[in-house]
Amino acid sequence: MRQAIRVLGWATNIFWITLLFFTVTTVYSAFQLGVGFGEPSMSSLDGTFVASLPLNITNRGFYDISDLNITTLVKDSEGASISNSSTFVQLIPRGSNASLRHNITVSLSQLTTENLSYLLFNDSNFNVDISLKLNYAKAVPFRISTNFTMPWGAPLSNLTLGNIAVTPYNTTHVMIVIPVSFENHSFFELNGTMRLEIVDNVDHIVGEGATSINSLPHSGYGDALEVLSTGNPANIREAHIYFETSVFSYGPVVILLV
Amino acid sequence: MLPRIAKALIKSLLYFVFMYALPMALLSQVAEFAPELFARYEQFFSLFVAMVIFFVVSSELTAGTIYQYGFNVGKAIILIVFFVLALDGGFIELNFAMERMRMHIWADVRVYLAMFITIDLLGLAKSLLQAVNFLSERAEQQLPTPQPAR
Repeated sequence: MRQAIRVLGWATNIFWITLLFFTVTTVYSAFQLGVGFGEPSMSSLDGTFVASLPLNITNRGFYDISDLNITTLVKDSEGASISNSSTFVQLIPRGSNASLRHNITVSLSQLTTENLSYLLFNDSNFNVDISLKLNYAKAVPFRISTNFTMPWGAPLSNLTLGNIAVTPYNTTHVMIVIPVSFENHSFFELNGTMRLEIVDNVDHIVGEGATSINSLPHSGYGDALEVLSTGNPANIREAHIYFETSVFSYGPVVILLV
Repeated sequence: MLPRIAKALIKSLLYFVFMYALPMALLSQVAEFAPELFARYEQFFSLFVAMVIFFVVSSELTAGTIYQYGFNVGKAIILIVFFVLALDGGFIELNFAMERMRMHIWADVRVYLAMFITIDLLGLAKSLLQAVNFLSERAEQQLPTPQPAR
């Protein structure tokens, strides 16, 4: 029995030494992990914006980093998903470094969907969740995450139609001048075409006009749209506005005419 | 009894210095970067050291008796429960503030927990065997010495 006791004693000591060694080397290696960020860049193509963040991860520890996954979730204030981007690196061996780019992709065409279209006209805040998951030493899964809010400026904020002016054009038509204005609070340039339809009390389209729009970020737009209309101007009820831009297409925006 | 008390005091002092004072001095420098990260585990660490010192002193004061092995068995069981509670069953979650952001850390340390429990189970087995060995040796000493048949 004494031999068994002695063996158990030795086994306990060996386990303690192994645990202490593993703990000390793991903690030391964790502090030897270096993460460097490069200069972020932004690009856009066909209404899709890509924010690219270069990362350099240096693993000077004793253990490999495996299954590294960086995920960025962008949601509106109600929790609706706007963007879900991930970057995956299978293995960063010990003593090596890895350079990668984490691309956050936001497709503005999503803003024309029913639950997100309000973002075209209303400033808001986006909730951004960033998480980094990895397996350390193939034994310790680890995750660190953070969240923060990012302001969103609406590209068509305060879209307003002013008081219409009606002047006779000929015996069958009248010229209706409609002042249109909005403020581009967003970070991108808005250019394209704005098309306007005038609708009467019985839902007939009695006039149609279009104009080009070009609004720089954080600037206003104002113009007077001239529309030739048939019928009695007193029966005009509302305007339907359609936007065709390089970033998104949306419509109709229905505004009652005064 | 006095030598036992002196030995117990010396052991408790050594354990306190090498298990608490020195590690806390080193960790306090690291804790400046994330005080919330270490505040919770500082309490667990202090409790752990206090329990270990208690059982070391108790074991030393009851050396040579069956109670010594009773304390060792109790130490092993209590430490198993302690590690499971301190490590939240192997899943550590921490929330703390860094600059203007809230950070959330999650780690799966079941490997460590398994190693801690294995060590304590080995200690438990060793203490039980020591207790059985102690009782059997004591029983052998109390048995009358057999006399050769005439």
